[in-house]
Amino acid sequence: MDTLVLLFNLSLRNIVRYRRRNFFLFAAIAVAVGGTTLSNALIRGWQVDMLETAVSALTGHIKLQAPGFADDPGLDKAFAADPDIQLGGSVALAGVALRINLPAVISSERETRGVALVGINPAQEGISFYRDFVFEGQALTGSADGRLVIGKALAETLQTRVGRRVVVIVEDADGKSRERGYRIAGVFDAPIQWPEELLVFTGLQAMQQSLANSRLPTPVTEVSLVLQEEENRQLVQRELASKHPELVVTDWRQMSPQIAEIVDIVDATMAIWFVMIMGALTFGLVNTLIAAVMQRTQELGMLRALGMSDRLLLTQVVLESVGIMVVGVVFGLVLGVAMVFGLGDGIDLSSFSESVEAFGMSTLLRPVLNLEDLFLFGGLSVLLGLLASYFPARRALKISPLMAMNR
Amino acid sequence: MTEFAENAKATAPVVECRGVQRIYQQDSVPVYALRGADLTIHAGEFVSLAGPSGSGKSTLLNVIGGLDAFDAGSVSVGGVDLAALTPAQLAQTRLHNVGFVFQAYNLIPVLSARENVEFILQLQGVASQERRSRAEQALHSLGLAELGDRRPGELSGGQQQRVAIARAIVTEPVLLLADEPTANLDSKTTSELLAVLRDLNQQQGMTIVTATHDPIVMEYTSRQVTMLDGEIRQDGGVAA
Repeated sequence: MDTLVLLFNLSLRNIVRYRRRNFFLFAAIAVAVGGTTLSNALIRGWQVDMLETAVSALTGHIKLQAPGFADDPGLDKAFAADPDIQLGGSVALAGVALRINLPAVISSERETRGVALVGINPAQEGISFYRDFVFEGQALTGSADGRLVIGKALAETLQTRVGRRVVVIVEDADGKSRERGYRIAGVFDAPIQWPEELLVFTGLQAMQQSLANSRLPTPVTEVSLVLQEEENRQLVQRELASKHPELVVTDWRQMSPQIAEIVDIVDATMAIWFVMIMGALTFGLVNTLIAAVMQRTQELGMLRALGMSDRLLLTQVVLESVGIMVVGVVFGLVLGVAMVFGLGDGIDLSSFSESVEAFGMSTLLRPVLNLEDLFLFGGLSVLLGLLASYFPARRALKISPLMAMNR
Repeated sequence: MTEFAENAKATAPVVECRGVQRIYQQDSVPVYALRGADLTIHAGEFVSLAGPSGSGKSTLLNVIGGLDAFDAGSVSVGGVDLAALTPAQLAQTRLHNVGFVFQAYNLIPVLSARENVEFILQLQGVASQERRSRAEQALHSLGLAELGDRRPGELSGGQQQRVAIARAIVTEPVLLLADEPTANLDSKTTSELLAVLRDLNQQQGMTIVTATHDPIVMEYTSRQVTMLDGEIRQDGGVAA
């Protein structure tokens, strides 16, 4: 232990001794680690954003539907919105939303379009992107509100506006078309484009009243759950499937498999990015550390001449290399965190809205700092420093004690 | 006392070289640095290895110190055959039994004078308090008590070489090897340093071997060995 303290002390002083050279080394490590931290925070932000976008697109982390509804949606596959329906179990929920979601045709005086008519309770939609809509006119006032809100893009297509009437046709449980006139209460502007074109909303209770039959007085076609912790998804899914065997319980990964794959790829992307940046840095580090050893052949030769063992000499060189890496990594992490905070609310990608939406992202990319990422990449960087020290250490062991005799 | 030291005390000679050859390859051409050198050094001797550059004096010193290998012959130090030792055992032998003083001082620049002296004791695993006390004592004996906190860069050449001697003797080695210890010093400092070495030899009975081509050094030693072309040409006043 005493010897380790000595070697640590010696290594620290040697780092200070060659401060100019080491400053540039620290700077290179700090910039690489800082840059990786920032880019990983942005990539992680992208991942979180994709996940949030997928979950908030009326999907939730978990959804309950009647069997066959996903393939052939219709009111015949509605189920009762039993107030005693058991949800969540032991896991905390962020929210639950009951909906009727049916394919429909909407017509104005000028145009007709296919859409999804969604009956919602606005108070429950804090878990979906409905909460982010900006309304011209009025939003739905509650579940009993029988008016309609439509997207800005759809309003333009239908050439209609707030206050006008439209006709919506849906198929009822008997397979007959049911037509109803709605007044447009508001036109919404969504953070992403497709809901504006494809979704129209009305009050759930009002919709239930118009579509109810004697068999099913309060029909719903889906129950959407958002969990406080996404990691509990599979547990809740299993619990719900066991409690409601008459329903199909699916999670967001099953409902949005493409996004699930992209989310998975992001972790690999971060790892590859880290390895590329830090790998390049490691080569530079190895080169500099070997040069540092070569610069001190006489000193290291003297240590060998005095009888310092290979193990201690190796430890000293490794300690110096790792010491340089640790200092650089700490500065790099601080720099990276500072850059992330410097980005403030995020990067506005609205100029590329169509492209980013294709990736299931919103137009504001917010970096996400994950403590686990910081520790992981910080730790891996130090580990790389340890590996990088192998080559200079090996070089040091080849130095003959005779080098001490150089004059 | 280590087995090595016991052997050194009990069975003179401390150093025994028989027919030692050292051949270097330069561009595939063999160069004979030592051509069958024979040398016996007894405990308590102060020996100078003299000769012009390339005579083999430093090579012989390095071989005796276990820093360099030899190609033929035998070398035993303190009764231990160096050829039989592994590199790790040689390192242990150097650490515990041989003190080195180099021409270029070779102090660790980031450590203070005291820390430099303590360093070798720490490699030996000596406990902290004893280390400190022995280092202080060694520095004091060389007139460096006030300079213990200074780093090598803050000391003169003579002072640095004294610290190097303190480092070499603090382990109480059986043999002290000095390679051109005064080559970088002025004549006054040289005389002072040689007086220190002579005192160590005469008062503590330390066996000292120094390679030099400085005639002043030879005046202080009890035995002068002259080398030429890798051979010992004269030992004391007697031609070898």
